[in-house]
Amino acid sequence: MFFHNFKYTLKALLRNKGLIFWTLAFPLIMALFFNMAFSNIEKQDKFKAINVAVVTNEYYENNTMLKETFELLSDENNKDRVFDSKYVNQDEAKELLEEEKIDGYVVFSEDSQQIIVNKNGVNQTILKFVVEEIVQAEDTADIIQEKVENIFNSREENGIMETLKSIIILLQNNSANIKDNSDANLSYMTIEFFTLVAMTCLYGGILGAVAINWCLANMSNVGKRLSMTPVSKLKMVISGTLAGYLIQLVGVALLFIFTIGILKIDFGNKTFEMVVLALVGSFAGLTMGVAVTAAIKTSENAKTGILIGFTMLGCFFAGMMGVSMKYLIDKSVPIINKLNPANMITDGFYSLYYYDTLDRFYGNICGLCIFSAIMLAIAIVSLRKQKYESI
Amino acid sequence: MIVYKTFLKVLNKCKFPIILYSAILLFFAGINMSSNDNTMDFTAEKPNIAVINNDKEEGITKSFLEYLHENTNIKDIKNDEQEIKDALFYREIQYIVYIPEGFSDSFLDGKNPQLEIKSTGEYQSELADMIVERYIKVAKRYRGSTDSDEELFEKIDETLSKKADVEIISKMDTKTITRLTRYFNFSAYSFIAISIYVISTILFIFKSEKINRRTIVGSIDYKKVNAKLLIANSGFCFIIWAIYFICARILIGEVAFSTYGIYFAINSLIFVICTVTLGFFVSHFVKSRNTITALINIIGLGSSFLCGVFVPMEYLPEGVLKIAHVLPAYWFVKNNELIGSTEVFSGDVIKSLVINAAVIIGFTIVFFVGSNIVTKKKMKAE
Repeated sequence: MFFHNFKYTLKALLRNKGLIFWTLAFPLIMALFFNMAFSNIEKQDKFKAINVAVVTNEYYENNTMLKETFELLSDENNKDRVFDSKYVNQDEAKELLEEEKIDGYVVFSEDSQQIIVNKNGVNQTILKFVVEEIVQAEDTADIIQEKVENIFNSREENGIMETLKSIIILLQNNSANIKDNSDANLSYMTIEFFTLVAMTCLYGGILGAVAINWCLANMSNVGKRLSMTPVSKLKMVISGTLAGYLIQLVGVALLFIFTIGILKIDFGNKTFEMVVLALVGSFAGLTMGVAVTAAIKTSENAKTGILIGFTMLGCFFAGMMGVSMKYLIDKSVPIINKLNPANMITDGFYSLYYYDTLDRFYGNICGLCIFSAIMLAIAIVSLRKQKYESI
Repeated sequence: MIVYKTFLKVLNKCKFPIILYSAILLFFAGINMSSNDNTMDFTAEKPNIAVINNDKEEGITKSFLEYLHENTNIKDIKNDEQEIKDALFYREIQYIVYIPEGFSDSFLDGKNPQLEIKSTGEYQSELADMIVERYIKVAKRYRGSTDSDEELFEKIDETLSKKADVEIISKMDTKTITRLTRYFNFSAYSFIAISIYVISTILFIFKSEKINRRTIVGSIDYKKVNAKLLIANSGFCFIIWAIYFICARILIGEVAFSTYGIYFAINSLIFVICTVTLGFFVSHFVKSRNTITALINIIGLGSSFLCGVFVPMEYLPEGVLKIAHVLPAYWFVKNNELIGSTEVFSGDVIKSLVINAAVIIGFTIVFFVGSNIVTKKKMKAE
């Protein structure tokens, strides 16, 4: 009987086109949209050489230091390249700026440096900054000269080789000793895809809800007939929800295959933990669906509405409609996201992607297990009480 | 009158989604409101950074921190590895500097102590990197050439405070205009969603078999019913358009009633007419109430993601924009962007605007004709 009900629930669920659209197809469509819309955002944010122009007046042409500095900063082979410079006259520079082909241009003269831009921004600030640096370097040139002279004057004590060495060290040792320890996996747009997995896991709850409705005498004719049969209700409920769970897992698996395999989204490399999280997350969604169906007495549409509404609200707080929302809630009202299953799933994937340790991940798994246990308790309490005097 | 009455009755049932889609628009407009300064003088951008100082706040460290305070926004973040990592990931900060213990003493001794940093590799972090590097470089140059540490700090400060002049040539208030552009861009989603939802729901009810048959046998001409439905639906969408325009004035300000506002308004009115016909066209394919939500999501979200409604066009990959050419929302957004970035509405600009608008009108005609063809086919089938 267990397998019988499992099989027919599975068949019935798969024939419900609306249901299959929302649980299997919709996440894939969203993943495609997300990928189309977001794939370029981070690339645009990555630093690329800034388009600027330098006005080639007489002063600039005659100032070798200026020329060399700008050429070095614009050199394509320089890994610290900052600018993509054009060398033009004043009118051309103005035209380029008006057409927004450059972010700004510089006019050097004897006693001033003029930077012309058309708006405030980071690129403009960087241009200003570099020009200032050139000016400041001129300012400190005499210091360096003085230092070199000092070393040079002591050549008789130290010997000519030693003196030359000191001078070379002095000139070379001009860079800052900075160690870049940046983390890999800094792509915040992946959060969008994590929320999508969370949504898929929780949408699975609708499958559980529909399956349970078929076991409830007050919800469907099938339920009425099933209630009459001499089969234990537990068996019915478990086999029905299991069928829902199976479809839900197929949905999540499809989403993984599509996002990781086809769209090439980087979820990190902890595959085993990801699968565990997907299983636990889907189970949380399923129990939520079962609990809502069992505990709330209303029409099937309203139950689905509650589940969709709750899932979308959860995904909103987990960052689906803007990644910064998740951070805002995490920081200012952490309790909301501690209780929010959509965020627990998202955060679990985030911790697998970004963190080296698994503490945060286990925290999320525990949270989801507790959530599932509570939902299950609600479902059991409300399902076992049900007796109908008349329907 | 009976048609309008029924229309309003059904509309009343649709009120929740209408409010929802409008609320989303206003919510996003509200989010965009936060940065509202209209200064036309150049202000240097300050990167958001965090400083984890393990050294005592004296000597060169103190001077360095003062310099960072002046040139960057130092965010107050707890010295907790998890919080710092999160802040960097979600871009609250773009750059972190770790000052090691004994940094100041070591530096003043003539050594080259190491600073650790973490960065996101984006524009702001590049700027932060320059700011940090510059201080160390200048400090190193002066090191050993002064009589006292105080003098050293003064010299560093003096050099670093040399600024270059920056002049802004554009006198356009870009920030508010950009906000207005974003607002109208975003309205595309609300217009599409509401048009499809309302029109499909109403036609679904009116065209359901029993009601439709009763209407046909009724004394009222069914063509009149159709005409009235068209008027009612268009009227409703026009009201929504007017409300959104007034909301733009309230949320974004005077600029909504400027020349820009008028261009935006005309553009969105043309687009609304297009979404109305789109709604009519789509309604023919509605088989159940559930299909309506699915269609809204596919058409509404699809247009929005592909055409630069949610994510500005400049951020979208070329390929996506090419595909988007077949969607009316693309031309609507393109016009909005053009209006928003124009300083003088010259002949050339207006020509481009008219061309884009003509494409939207073209779509309107296609949807309208398409609707009629489908209706005819359906009638013949019956």
